[in-house]
Amino acid sequence: MEHLTQDTLARLVDERPNPDERDHIKTCRRCAEALRAFRLQSEALGGLPALRPPPGDWESLEARLVSEGLVRTTETFRRFGFAAAPAWMQAAAAIVVFLGGTGFGLTLTNAATSDETPQSMSLPASQISSAEEAVRAVELAERAYMQSLARYRQWTGGSDGPRAADPLSLLTALEGLLAASQEAVRLAPADPVFNGFLVNVLAERQEVLRQISTSGDDVWF
Amino acid sequence: MNEAQLLRKACQGDGPAVRALYERYSPRVYAVVRRIAADDDLAQDYAQEAWIRAIRALPTFRGEARFSTWLHRIAVNSALQAVRAAETRHKKEAPMPESLAVAPPERDALLSQKLEWALDRLPERMRKVLILHDVEGYTHDEIGELLGTTAGTSKSQLFKARGKMRVLLKDLDSSENSVSRNDGKEIEAWSI
Repeated sequence: MEHLTQDTLARLVDERPNPDERDHIKTCRRCAEALRAFRLQSEALGGLPALRPPPGDWESLEARLVSEGLVRTTETFRRFGFAAAPAWMQAAAAIVVFLGGTGFGLTLTNAATSDETPQSMSLPASQISSAEEAVRAVELAERAYMQSLARYRQWTGGSDGPRAADPLSLLTALEGLLAASQEAVRLAPADPVFNGFLVNVLAERQEVLRQISTSGDDVWF
Repeated sequence: MNEAQLLRKACQGDGPAVRALYERYSPRVYAVVRRIAADDDLAQDYAQEAWIRAIRALPTFRGEARFSTWLHRIAVNSALQAVRAAETRHKKEAPMPESLAVAPPERDALLSQKLEWALDRLPERMRKVLILHDVEGYTHDEIGELLGTTAGTSKSQLFKARGKMRVLLKDLDSSENSVSRNDGKEIEAWSI
């Protein structure tokens, strides 16, 4: 019998030889050695170690994750310098206070329907003194915002709900919220929460403007 | 914090939790992607893309498989797609790969380097099959599914890849021995 081919030897690494192949390997030292070498090679490949990513890989990945809104970290705030930026904290706090306190928050909050009002979820600006607290403030603001927005929709959309607000009053309230959101996004352009605020406020403002422009009964000018 | 807690937090966009998952699994993700890409720069891009996809898809992870298996499959798919998408690959005559093994035993370091070097020089189809089968332990059916081919084709490519790999390693060994003789120094020759 001729020597076994490379393909056959490669196959015999993990398959049983047929009787002819087995007999040949028993008598042919060259093929037996070659088969052993193939087996050692596959074994060595199976034992290859994991590889450490290059230095800076996490930082680069983290930046992408943040820019795509998949994570938010305290390190991110620190890197952008927000932790030490009173203006940013003021902007974040402005949203919190605005939502949970007077103005828009009071207009939209129906305290009788919920145990947890935006006010109870807000964190006063004076208490924000670290990046972690700022993150917490943003989280609270987000929850407050979503709750207020839900009430806003309920309030303006249902015939059983309370009396609808004057669109111009709503627009005024939204303009204030828009200014705060824009300032926050200007200071933290990669922050997904602030961007979410801004998008939602713009959508609501657009809707109110549409209501005003299509209302034939209301001659507001 | 256990893995389930980490995953729950990572799912909510918690940075430190995502970082912890990265620290735990990035060497394995990077390794398989690096070997498929056969290029350090591309590997970093492909690995990052794999992580982005995984974190984005995290809410769909139901725990039916182990997270490491799920993540590994995403990394493999991501790298295979990226390689497919690349119109042309320019094989570089580079030295040994620069990637660093995660604490390889010293006596195996040279062997690993040679294997990585030879893997980088295999034709693309052969390399993919050899990595998926011999390095990562996928079955031919799984490889066929991943590469959009049959299990039979996968086997055929594997046998050819093993043969080509052996030739590359023997050539490398011969050239090293030749250099060694010329320098009058003795080096450890690795012959399989």
